[in-house]
Amino acid sequence: MIPRWYEPVECREQFKRIFSFLNLGVLIMSAILMFSEFRFDWCEQLLGNFLVSTNQTRPEKGAVWELGRNTLTAHEALNKIIDRKSDTSEFAHKTDSFSGIADHLIPGEWVTLDKDHFKHLYRSLPLTHARQIMEPARLIWLLNGKVTERIFCEGLKNGMKIYFINAGNRVVHQIELKQDILDAVVEKQYLEPGRLEDFEGFSGRIYPAERFFAAVFKLPSEMIQDLLPDADLLLDQDGTILRIGIWNETQAGFIQLGFEFRYQGQTRVLFVKAREWAVWQLGLILRGTHS
Amino acid sequence: MRLLATIFSVCRSVFFTAVIVFCAGILSVMFLVFYTVPELPKLPQDLSRIIETPQSIIYASSGQVLMHLGERENVPLSQVSADFINAILATEDHLFFQHYGINKLRTLKALYITLFEPGRVEGASTITQQLAKNLFFSFEQSFARKFKELLVAFQIETTHSKEEILEAYINQIHFGAGAQGVEKAADTFFGKSAMELTLPEAALLAGLPKSPSAYNPFSHYDRALKRRDLVLHRMVEVGFLSQKQAALAAAEKPVLNQEKKDARSGSYFLDALVKELVKTYGENVVYNGGIRVHATLDPQLQELAKKTLKQGLDRLDEMMGIPSWQTLRPQGALVAVEPATGAVRAMVGGRDYFHSEFNRATSARRQPGSGFKPFVYYTAFQEAKFHPGTVMTDQPVTIPVVGAPDWQPKNFERGFKGDMVLKTAMTQSVNTIAAQLVQITGPRAVMETAEKCGIQSPLDDVFSIALGTADVTPVEMAAAFSVFAGLGKRHDPFLFWRVEDPFGRVLFEHIVEDQQVLDPVIAYQVVDMMKAVVDTGSGRRIREHGFTRPCAGKTGTTDNYNDAWFTGFTPELCTSVWTGFDKKKRLEDTSGVGITGGRGAAPIWADFMTQALAGEPERNFPVPSNIRFEKIDPDTGCRISPKDPRKGIVIAVKHGQTLCGETVR
Repeated sequence: MIPRWYEPVECREQFKRIFSFLNLGVLIMSAILMFSEFRFDWCEQLLGNFLVSTNQTRPEKGAVWELGRNTLTAHEALNKIIDRKSDTSEFAHKTDSFSGIADHLIPGEWVTLDKDHFKHLYRSLPLTHARQIMEPARLIWLLNGKVTERIFCEGLKNGMKIYFINAGNRVVHQIELKQDILDAVVEKQYLEPGRLEDFEGFSGRIYPAERFFAAVFKLPSEMIQDLLPDADLLLDQDGTILRIGIWNETQAGFIQLGFEFRYQGQTRVLFVKAREWAVWQLGLILRGTHS
Repeated sequence: MRLLATIFSVCRSVFFTAVIVFCAGILSVMFLVFYTVPELPKLPQDLSRIIETPQSIIYASSGQVLMHLGERENVPLSQVSADFINAILATEDHLFFQHYGINKLRTLKALYITLFEPGRVEGASTITQQLAKNLFFSFEQSFARKFKELLVAFQIETTHSKEEILEAYINQIHFGAGAQGVEKAADTFFGKSAMELTLPEAALLAGLPKSPSAYNPFSHYDRALKRRDLVLHRMVEVGFLSQKQAALAAAEKPVLNQEKKDARSGSYFLDALVKELVKTYGENVVYNGGIRVHATLDPQLQELAKKTLKQGLDRLDEMMGIPSWQTLRPQGALVAVEPATGAVRAMVGGRDYFHSEFNRATSARRQPGSGFKPFVYYTAFQEAKFHPGTVMTDQPVTIPVVGAPDWQPKNFERGFKGDMVLKTAMTQSVNTIAAQLVQITGPRAVMETAEKCGIQSPLDDVFSIALGTADVTPVEMAAAFSVFAGLGKRHDPFLFWRVEDPFGRVLFEHIVEDQQVLDPVIAYQVVDMMKAVVDTGSGRRIREHGFTRPCAGKTGTTDNYNDAWFTGFTPELCTSVWTGFDKKKRLEDTSGVGITGGRGAAPIWADFMTQALAGEPERNFPVPSNIRFEKIDPDTGCRISPKDPRKGIVIAVKHGQTLCGETVR
């Protein structure tokens, strides 16, 4: 093999080249770098500090951030539920009708009413309708006895349910207010335009007001209260009572009476419910068979 | 000379090549760093703060905490046993205090093995890297993920002290059994704080993070001990322990906190509860919302239920000659419901949650056999105006079925006993009479009764419904029988009373609403018949097991002895017990005789109810006012004088019902 022209010819030259400043420098530098890195971890520190400087610009991602976001979302969801409940509760306490509460409640949603507020709502109804919801005697027992701890209203698809709850969280009584009952109250369905003859149920039992009231005043006073329980409703109406009709069917111990009013040239019929037995007594007088 | 020159030349070439490669490597790494940095996650200022999430807490009916969901109980390093810190360092990263997020030599070795020894993968993650991975990365194995994890580890090391890193690490690692963080793990496994951990306990815990389920000491105690010994060995190797100390620690077997075993995510009840909560509020709210749930579970009853079911199933193994090593063993379920409210007080869905998480109490739909007969009798009383004294004939019955062969139900005891009153037929669980009743009322009426009582599983409109061929779950059976216990008042089973947000604001409240779905008088007549089942009929083992309180119930066994049930109740508690194999397989004793509900399930019921009601005043079922008790001849159904020496039976009849043409007044 022919030696290359730059190859050293002597050992001395060989060592001289090997241990040249450049070689030694590179070797020492490399060794220092390596050992100092192993000893002082400067490379990691350098990278670490660089990463710290970029921290604020990097995305919030990864399990821990996800968890934080999930927590936030969960709290938002809970707050939404609570806010909705608070809104409903506030609304229920401000509203002055059952139908208002029922309109606000979505199916399955509930709100608590205090006893006084329930009483107020109940008493604001015409007695006929209030009775349809609940007998006053039962309400007295539920609200003034030690029976009811809380009153819950729960929204239904078609109205609402009202639960009277005792201290043991047990329902002691419940009533269902269907939308049609609520609508009847809101839309004053107890007041119908027209004349008594328009309603077949009154056929043959229509009496002039004078005759009707003359017969009424022949009844004992305690019976008159059962005959005209909704006196407030009648007194609230504008116009003059012309005639009164007695319905031909009983419903749960009540018979409907129709009061025909004339007001500003128009007639309308107001429906109220009277106790069956009082109406029966009145009927005897009206037919002249009463002793 | 030439040789020397060649050697020098080669060395020089190698050296400079190495330098160039090294420089190129550094440049590549720098390039990679710059390239990767924008993808790296931002680090929070305070590691300990961000891993604090509000925990959802589930309370038992007694007020005791049953479970924390999404919990991480942070504990400062100073409040953790030194033995645990040494154990975790020895196991995971003994040079933790020396390195800067990476153990270089171990990493080079691991890299070499991974690259040049195919099939072998060596891990070299330091505690800082593990923390970075747990906090920010998925568990996907890739070089890119490892590299990012390494960079984040460097940043963590730069911004936090070693103590802070170690504290964050031990507070977020998973130990299994729902325990995250050392404080929670110490409480879950040993019922103590992290500070109180002894060396054997600390070593056991330190071994768990490698594979929390494989080493779960509740389910694999021996395996966990072996792993613990390895930890102790590592502690000796790295100089944290002497051989003698390690040997002493290895000789000790830590006592696990068995109370906690069931009061955590592993319990069947809690699984069902969490499932229900997730269905209502969504997973995020349940696990991250910090809600407070007041469950219906009574921890004492739950423990009792678990214990009695296990004992009963062990007895069944013995009866069936199944050795303990055999894996195919009968399973069971027990559900206890409060009839007055529907609150589920105890629920066990299998022999051992750690071997099978399948909740048979809520999910195993099995045929109830004769356990369905109370619905049949109620329907017959309601629809056909029969009563317990009505006489029918136990005889061969053939019921034509459209599009299928005629159905000819058989009695368990293969013979026919002739005329008998319905109370006797129920007591002796006579199949032919139940079939005749369904023929009279029609299967749809029976289905309607069962559905009114709360059976929600799909029921088929077939005559065999008389013999309980429709599949139902134990929780349905317990809830449906509790309607009889409440004389017709239905309360759907529920698992929690109340749910609150972290500030105590009420999200949900269970209101107990009585739904009168059955006629109370007829329901009482059926209850009276079911009392006779326990006193003298197919469920008399209840009495033989010493349960003396007034109770009613019905056994249930399927034709092929695949399922053995007993569902029964006192006025206070209604419990359903099912036993059987998961795969349909006959329950039979060593003599090949099939095991009935009376033999398989009733003893479990009796054991559970005896202890569950211990200390409670004894109560009888209230008798409706128009019920009269009459002594009758069980064959003719005719009244006999109470003083008549003939052996009669006493039945509950309503006013106006007739016995042999005589009207009861």
